[in-house]
Amino acid sequence: MKFIVSSTYLLKQLQILGGVINNNNTLPILDNFLFELKQDELTVSASDLETTMSAKLKVESDSEGAIAVPARLLLETLKTFPEQPLTFVVEDNNTIELSSNHGKYALAYADGEEFPNAVELNEPSSTIVQGDVLATAISKTIFASGNDDLRPVMSGVFFQFSTEGLTFVATDAHKLVKYSREDVSASQAAEFIMPKKPLNLLKGILAGSETDVLIEYNESNAKFTFEDTQLICRLIDGKYPNYEAVIPKENPNKLVIDRSQFLSSVKRVSIFSNKTTHQVRLKIAGAELNISAEDIDYSNKAEERLTCSYQGDDMQIGFNSRFLTEMLNNLNANEVQLEMSLPNRAGILTPVDGLDEGEKITMLVMPVMLNN
Amino acid sequence: MDAFYASVEQLDNPDLRGKPIAVGGNEERGVVAAASYEARKFGVRSAMSSMVAKRNCPELIFVKPRFDRYIEISNQIREIFLEYTNLVEPLSLDEAYLDVTENKKGNPSATMIAQEIRQKIKEKTGLNASAGISLNKFIAKVASDINKPNGQKTVPPEEVEEFLEKLEIRKFHGVGKVTAEKMFQLGIFKGIQLKQKSEEFLTEHFGKSGSHYYNVVRGVHTSEVKPNRIRKSLGAERTFNENISSEIFMLERLENIAEEIERRLKKSKVAGKTVTLKIKYSDFTLHTRSKTLPYFIANKEVILDTAKELLYQEKMKNSVRLLGISLSNLNTDKNVKETHKKEIAMQLKFEF
Repeated sequence: MKFIVSSTYLLKQLQILGGVINNNNTLPILDNFLFELKQDELTVSASDLETTMSAKLKVESDSEGAIAVPARLLLETLKTFPEQPLTFVVEDNNTIELSSNHGKYALAYADGEEFPNAVELNEPSSTIVQGDVLATAISKTIFASGNDDLRPVMSGVFFQFSTEGLTFVATDAHKLVKYSREDVSASQAAEFIMPKKPLNLLKGILAGSETDVLIEYNESNAKFTFEDTQLICRLIDGKYPNYEAVIPKENPNKLVIDRSQFLSSVKRVSIFSNKTTHQVRLKIAGAELNISAEDIDYSNKAEERLTCSYQGDDMQIGFNSRFLTEMLNNLNANEVQLEMSLPNRAGILTPVDGLDEGEKITMLVMPVMLNN
Repeated sequence: MDAFYASVEQLDNPDLRGKPIAVGGNEERGVVAAASYEARKFGVRSAMSSMVAKRNCPELIFVKPRFDRYIEISNQIREIFLEYTNLVEPLSLDEAYLDVTENKKGNPSATMIAQEIRQKIKEKTGLNASAGISLNKFIAKVASDINKPNGQKTVPPEEVEEFLEKLEIRKFHGVGKVTAEKMFQLGIFKGIQLKQKSEEFLTEHFGKSGSHYYNVVRGVHTSEVKPNRIRKSLGAERTFNENISSEIFMLERLENIAEEIERRLKKSKVAGKTVTLKIKYSDFTLHTRSKTLPYFIANKEVILDTAKELLYQEKMKNSVRLLGISLSNLNTDKNVKETHKKEIAMQLKFEF
């Protein structure tokens, strides 16, 4: 088995795939990339058992074979090379010899047979989504997902496909994001919960990409195929919470405000907030929004006033400034609307402008109760 | 103070003097908050329904209560108390316990102090007061009723035992109509019979209060005079002019009550966790429903929202004559206060 490949081309692909590999694997074989060579087509795979990603590379070769190459060693070596052709030759003594313009390097390899096989999807349903749309959906929602091992369903993003559109939801029980696209739809209704890790990988690869992504899914697995790359992952098992039920229907108090002003005020004031609750208080009366925070333990205090347009009763509500900051950061509107009902009910943050046709985004945040 | 609200009204309005009057209530509905001594002769008592009061005493004049005025006088009286000691535990607007063991005047005689205080109250407000003097709060309270109105009674330590033994069970502070009836059933009519019962016996029949009775009848009551009694709950309620059967009208009333509570909460700067909804049906049966929130609230909207939830929790069994909301589990609670300082704010979650 022998092939010649461009060093930067290989590195680029391996770096993407390397994201799948865990830092400490119980199964040592998972520290490797699987190289499967079939003449001029090299398929490289990486896996953590939950997620398997593979990419097809064009190489110069006329042989065949399958070997597992130590990932870290290979990546570290490749990083140091300027662009040049590299030759890989499998030797008899279980090593693979890599020749560059600078010299020769030998890496011990394992038999490709040892590498776990990726799951096959039986009778999958499928949908096609543009890469950038998927990446946007992921990046708008994923920050709101949780890390609670006791509620694994909330540690992922809920994909809800129907003939009318696609909806992506993430929540950690404190904040919730619902991102919908009405301009893309699926041939039949389906729901599944995607774990965070593969989504982060997809987000990184697909951002700004105009290629179509084929999403195939059944009850337990999902497969994303685009260009020469394929990602298969296990879905999170369980029932996603009924998120529609927690979106308050009647919100008589509506605040519209410049997003970046609001964001920078919250950021500044939050420096003075309590270090565990990160609570900032919003006091709204007339057309004035008063943002304040206080850390009683250290006697730190801050207060800012912003003009806004407001409809509703004067009210006072507390929020975790981190949640507000994250949410405001993830919107790219100039103006945002915050709808509220009571100081113990969720606030609904929506962008006023800056949305694409068919795009809809709703963010919910539960308050921090004020104890005065 | 003797017939406090009624005496104040008679003091301020000479036309009412010497006449049977009732503060609170009206001809049709409500209860008597206080009755003048003239009215008491006819059997008008406080907490009696207006209709019964009117029947007992057709001449009865109903007067609207003026709480601001009562509070004003109450404060004047309190000032007098504070001239003697800081250990003043108010029981209501017109009653207080004073611990004069060590007093600012250095007067060793509690009896004389009581005399002086009553004198001063008369001079300053024109109202009569009664006093009871003894070695603990319980006996002092009971004694204050003995020579009412405008009198005082001292029970010195050596007479305590005899005093309590001869005391009618009905006169024991904390024994009302129902408990007295129960005591009678058990053959307890006076202190002496109560004293003969074992603590186990009393606990068995009266629960926690049983051991209280067992102790007080022996002259043992260790409760101190607490000058800063902490509030445990705060509430407001309304009896309606007409019974209401529709929840929609109740909501309107609840909103008023919640508003009132918010006002009171603000005034005393407290917040609470438990909201209790009190419902009195037209047949006078009383029901309460309560909900404890994981955080302190002091805001009208949230109180109302929780009360609403309680209201709709179950269908009304009958038309309703009274609705009340009260807030307990207050942040004045001592043990709460320590932890409270840390969890000054509470991050809420979606109810999945």
